[in-house]
Amino acid sequence: MTYYLTTLGVYAGVDIIACLALNLQFGVSGIVNFSFIVFQAAGAYTAAVLSLPPDSGNGGFQTYVFGAQLPFPIPWIVAAVVGGLLSVPVGLVVLRHLRVDYQAIAMLVLSVIANLVITNARPFLNGAAGLSLVPQPLSEQFNPYTPGYLWGYVAVTFVCAALVFFVAQRVVKSPYGRTLRAMREHELAATALGKNPVVLKMTVFIVGGVIAGLSGAILVGFITIWAPSTWLYPETLILFAAVIVGGRGNNWGALFGAALVPVGFEEATRYLPQFGPPGLVPALQWVAIGLLIIGFLWFRPRGVVPEQPGRFAAAVPDRARLAEEPSVS
Amino acid sequence: MSLYLAAFGFGLVSTSVLAIAAVGFTMQFGISNMINLAYGEVMIASAYASYSLNNAGINIWVSLLGGAVFGAVFSYLINRVLYAPFQKKGTALIGMVIISLAASLMIANVLLPIVGYYSVSYHQDVGPTFHAGSIALTGVQLAIMAVAVVLMLAIYALLKLTRLGKAMRATSANPTLARNCGIPTRRVIDTAWVITGALCGVAGTVAGMNSDTFSVASGAGFLISIIAAAVLGGAGNPYGAMIGAFLIGEVTEVSAAAFSPQYKEVAAFAILILVMVLRPQGLLAKRGTLAAAG
Repeated sequence: MTYYLTTLGVYAGVDIIACLALNLQFGVSGIVNFSFIVFQAAGAYTAAVLSLPPDSGNGGFQTYVFGAQLPFPIPWIVAAVVGGLLSVPVGLVVLRHLRVDYQAIAMLVLSVIANLVITNARPFLNGAAGLSLVPQPLSEQFNPYTPGYLWGYVAVTFVCAALVFFVAQRVVKSPYGRTLRAMREHELAATALGKNPVVLKMTVFIVGGVIAGLSGAILVGFITIWAPSTWLYPETLILFAAVIVGGRGNNWGALFGAALVPVGFEEATRYLPQFGPPGLVPALQWVAIGLLIIGFLWFRPRGVVPEQPGRFAAAVPDRARLAEEPSVS
Repeated sequence: MSLYLAAFGFGLVSTSVLAIAAVGFTMQFGISNMINLAYGEVMIASAYASYSLNNAGINIWVSLLGGAVFGAVFSYLINRVLYAPFQKKGTALIGMVIISLAASLMIANVLLPIVGYYSVSYHQDVGPTFHAGSIALTGVQLAIMAVAVVLMLAIYALLKLTRLGKAMRATSANPTLARNCGIPTRRVIDTAWVITGALCGVAGTVAGMNSDTFSVASGAGFLISIIAAAVLGGAGNPYGAMIGAFLIGEVTEVSAAAFSPQYKEVAAFAILILVMVLRPQGLLAKRGTLAAAG
């Protein structure tokens, strides 16, 4: 029971962190990052290979690069850095002069291809089998199988989530956040006012990558395994569903969405009786995610906790028209 | 050297499959100004529709027609029930692309419990093998190439010679202006989705015929090559998609011979990235037939 609750807690915390990051990118700035999960995976793999011993040390049943066996905070920090660094080339290719739906498909293709390459290139990160037996943080000092350790891990996860929430809130509320929203609503107008959309998007993209990397590191430290099958491209769509349901552009919405969609969904279906042929329930789960996205975009596109209108929203008579006009780029 | 020649031969077959698929995909983009990410899954669904006919003892070529009809009806319905209402509502591109990805996942996961996880293959007589130097192709592969050539010519004739084709080009160039000129754009768009859906259905079935087996999981791989071909040629431009299909088809097959077949799609991806960096508008500039706005 402790194990179940703590696992739930860590997943909830990680999903919250991921949704906050995606909300910064997609909700606030309008970047359709369909490869979000790749950055999470990059963080998880980084943290894993930095905390694992050299691959000859575990009987050689899995092969990977590095195997540095570094002590606790370093793998997490490097994971976050790697998430950010990976965002730089991706962002430079994708975010500069492509139309927004081109950006989305480029990221989608990247997500599929990255998974394909990691699955097939076995010596790099142990291929399709993935990495297992990743040492938990501080497992030298504490016994990682005690309830105290498990609850401590949940606490650390939530401290990180709170920290990310604080940062995200500061970004959204600041003049900088206002600039980001201006760019999202009308990129041409924002450019005309002297804002550089490429720089803005790149910054948000990198910040999101850092947070995604951190979330991957936290997750892999707890579940101790990481394989290509855990970061297939549809996983990103669950996070999108969460942000859309919660309320695009509102951090409270992202919190709510994270609790409702990835966490609530998994848990609710766990208690459903298994019926039909094997695989029916997971398949229906995906169908439900799709219906959730489409339903919300149709009936309540602003989500459950809508973004707060700006202070001067009432003073702009044609705000709706501006918002509906497809952005030009 | 003979290995590469053989790969070139297979590349011609891949090109044929890809051309049928990419032309349909790019025309949907041109006429509706949106990227239909569910295209790969509709292909797979059509391939399974053909498979169920084929499995019931019907000849594969007749089943192919069944797949085409299925793809046409399915695509028409997706547009009419899902995409068109959202577009009419004024949903931005950013929303449309998410909706189409959600649709893609839903199709795949409705399909999974029905057809199962296992790969299937058509009951077909591959026919005698024809040799030309080190290129060796089966009768079925040659027939697929013939189908592709006929369809490409038909699309050319449709767009250039018929009133419908003219209306489609006008609608894709500027829907508002086309409507003001008295073109029934809604009906033209519906027809375009039926035609492109039929192409999608044919493409799915011939893709299944060309590869030994297929499964629901093949959809994503199809989609990547199609996107690469369409973007390379200039999204929205059917002739560009044909050229793109040739380049992508050959590069993937030759690189599979040179390196490893597992990385087929990686070559397509590399080309896609190069195009996006160097020439995002594609090889053929977005002017003239079926060019996309924006």
